[in-house]
Amino acid sequence: MRLKVIFIIIFCFIFLVACHLFYLQILKGDAYYSLSINNSIRVVPVEAPRGRILDRNGVVLADNRHSFDVTIVPQELDDKDEVFDFLSQILQIDKNKMLQQFWQRKVAPFSPVVVVEDVTKAQAMSVEENRYRFPGLYIEESYNRYYPFHEVGAHVLGYVGKMNREELEQLNDYGHSSLSTVGKNGIEDFYDSYLRGHEGGLQMEINSRGRQVRLLGIRQPQSGQDITLTVDQRVQQMAYDSLASRRGAVIVMSLETGEILTMVSSPAYDPNIFVDSQLRSKTGSLFVDPQAPLLNRAIKGQYPPGSVFKIVVAAAGLATNRLDPARTYNCDGVYELGAAKFRCMHTHGPQNLFQGIMHSCNIYFYNVSQAIGAESIYRYARLLGLGRLTGIDIPFEEKGNLSGPSLRKWYTGDTLNMSIGQGDVLATPMQLLRVLATVGLNGREVQPYFLKAINHQELVKLSTSRQVGMIPQVYEILNNALRMVVDESGGTAHILDIPNMKVAGKTGTAQSGRGKDSHAWFVGYTLDTQPRVAICVFLEYGGSSHNSVVVAQDILNQMRLADIL
Amino acid sequence: MRRELELKIWIFTACIVLMGLVVLYSAAYQNARVSIKVFYDQLYCAGFGFTLMYLISRVNYRRFYDIAYIVYAIMMILLFLVLIKGRYALGAQRWFSFAGITFQPSEIAKLGMILALGRYFSQRRPTFKFGTKSNSKALWNHLLAPLFITAVPMLFIFKQPDLGTAILIFGIFFIMTYASGIEMKFLGGFSALCLAAAPFMWHILKPYQRDRLLVFLNPNIDPLGAGYTIIQSKIALGSGQFFGKGWLSGTQNQLNFLPEQHTDFIFSVVGEEWGFLGSMLLLLAYGGLIYTGLKIAEQVNDKFGTQVAVGIVGILALQVIINMGMVMGLFPVVGITLPMISYGRTSFMIFMIMMGFLLSLSKRRTVF
Repeated sequence: MRLKVIFIIIFCFIFLVACHLFYLQILKGDAYYSLSINNSIRVVPVEAPRGRILDRNGVVLADNRHSFDVTIVPQELDDKDEVFDFLSQILQIDKNKMLQQFWQRKVAPFSPVVVVEDVTKAQAMSVEENRYRFPGLYIEESYNRYYPFHEVGAHVLGYVGKMNREELEQLNDYGHSSLSTVGKNGIEDFYDSYLRGHEGGLQMEINSRGRQVRLLGIRQPQSGQDITLTVDQRVQQMAYDSLASRRGAVIVMSLETGEILTMVSSPAYDPNIFVDSQLRSKTGSLFVDPQAPLLNRAIKGQYPPGSVFKIVVAAAGLATNRLDPARTYNCDGVYELGAAKFRCMHTHGPQNLFQGIMHSCNIYFYNVSQAIGAESIYRYARLLGLGRLTGIDIPFEEKGNLSGPSLRKWYTGDTLNMSIGQGDVLATPMQLLRVLATVGLNGREVQPYFLKAINHQELVKLSTSRQVGMIPQVYEILNNALRMVVDESGGTAHILDIPNMKVAGKTGTAQSGRGKDSHAWFVGYTLDTQPRVAICVFLEYGGSSHNSVVVAQDILNQMRLADIL
Repeated sequence: MRRELELKIWIFTACIVLMGLVVLYSAAYQNARVSIKVFYDQLYCAGFGFTLMYLISRVNYRRFYDIAYIVYAIMMILLFLVLIKGRYALGAQRWFSFAGITFQPSEIAKLGMILALGRYFSQRRPTFKFGTKSNSKALWNHLLAPLFITAVPMLFIFKQPDLGTAILIFGIFFIMTYASGIEMKFLGGFSALCLAAAPFMWHILKPYQRDRLLVFLNPNIDPLGAGYTIIQSKIALGSGQFFGKGWLSGTQNQLNFLPEQHTDFIFSVVGEEWGFLGSMLLLLAYGGLIYTGLKIAEQVNDKFGTQVAVGIVGILALQVIINMGMVMGLFPVVGITLPMISYGRTSFMIFMIMMGFLLSLSKRRTVF
């Protein structure tokens, strides 16, 4: 009797086992079958080389170097400690640093993590030889970015880096893997979608350790497209050398087209340190450096334009017909507004518009600004592009600052300050360069840009210039005045009177406040060179504007010597 | 009739052992983790095992009765020795070397327990109710004494730690006590007590044993850790579908996604490579063996024989059901082998000896 009970119970259980087998193998068989296939098939990304960046003459500014990275697939690790001990012994790198790197970059257990980048070929070989002992350890070949000119042009090119977790989430839909390299600044960032290649992949059957058993398919990686810039590396070098590590920026733009021939910001940084794992420790100090080497002063630095702004004031006066260029005002060095005294650099005596601009006389502009009115100055400043982005094709441009009576409580003193480019007027070197370029082109405002060709296909540039609506006489008068600044012996930029080259421009010595040296400006353009260029030299706390004029002279002379102008 | 039962035991055992060898070959085939030596090892064991089975079948099982307590004593000594100087492997102290042979005393304990309990129950006279005094005496005789016989080795085994075998030993005790004709009020009360005590067992479990229990309840809490095993083995089983992926062609097995595919999880290889068809055939073979075993238990005329047969059938059924259940995710993972299929010399040989016992029992119906 009891044996029967035992028999029944046992066979009930066996029946239960059989039923569950039926459920797993027959009812859910398909689902588990595809799971087992997914289990054993892995797609390994093959990195595509990034497009290069070239200057207008084909000089390579950003290149790719073949490199070897040590990667780890977390889920395949047997003994993490053992692997990292081995690596630190072979690569002579601190184990904790690698572990930190590992945790920082780990996304998912199955996704490879780069632990050490760019090891030498010999190191890669010795890791490869011992790989059989450490499941989950791999050597991946990849391409490292290399910038042969180091600091020169760093701010234009930007740099690249491995994607971090947030970027991965954003770009996941665009076919990025955790190992993808993305541009982080400058051209590398702005034209990332062209430069970035399309990753290839190896589809392979793997075992539980992730070892390849059989190759099932290959998709070849597609390299990124080369980008040719309008930049001339020779001029970049000249500008960089001319600045000689002083804080500041130089921009040279082809006047007629808006092609940027040079954009240099100083002090600069070596973009290679963001790529090279051995140098990467230095990046930290870049962020805290009081000289702010990462800042692209040419488009992101916002400074009082000083006397350069007088061109805007004059344009506003002429365009509104509230300024008679022939009328003189007497400069005795001081302008009194109630109890306040506004000073000039010198005592210039009677000044008309041309002399006022040529000598950069503050008193003249104090006087005329009253007649023109702050609202008009504000309006024409905006019309000429101040307070607006120039739309140049690198990221993080700033738009400066501009305010007028309609924007805040306004006093006459504000108008006076505004008339000489002080107060709350702030502009980037790029903006001021374009203001002068627009004047030099008789009211045609060009769009500055870097991109010359994609994949060696010259871009058919759609005209993006626009006409600034002022009567032609305004430009004629301003062009003459700006020419006198250089041409006349009393002009503030007379040393730019280079033989066989007609240069026009405006200097500016902008008070920076806080008891520091003034900012030194020179913004101008050439009249008879081929091509015509606009140039802006800005020295942060550079003292007298004369210093900037010297730099401009140096660059223009060198360009002439190199037969570029 | 006797010949027929004997033949059935031979056939079912041979089927299971052969199928086991075929599957084990696949589990060890060109595998970096599992050496093919495992297969040859088991092959030799099978040859030796069948010989042993034949020899034991010819022994009068009265001899087993005689040596029952001696086997129990030797087993206790071994269990004690393995605790103090056993080989430590895979996180437990289960192996013991003697005269150059390494074996698992806990496997031998299964046999020792069956013999000892069989002899104890066969000696026990039925008690009749004569008031409360005899009631407590009956409780001692029927339940507490055999419980004591069981509990001591069980604790030793639990200490190794080997939760799976400890549970099996307890299972043998339960089935054999039930089969001995104990009053249901004792067994019922005891069962209730055990259930009530179960929650307290949690505290004496090792952390990894707790993990396994938690993971059993939800394998997805730790898919790459403790849950990995069960997820992968379910994938292997399920992906076999009806006909299986074919011998040596199971990706889960061949690519080593399966953990312990040659020992505790070998059933997942059966399921993956032989499909529902192969799994059912194996289950049928086990079922046939169990059925035949119970038939023998029924036909043996003395109590010792019945008890031993029930014990053997019980342990066979328990291991088959628990092992398959754990591979399918029906039970938590405890280290229990699939009888005569999983690699493991001691486990394999003990089952061959047990089959020899069944044969011996089927031949003679000696009455004491």
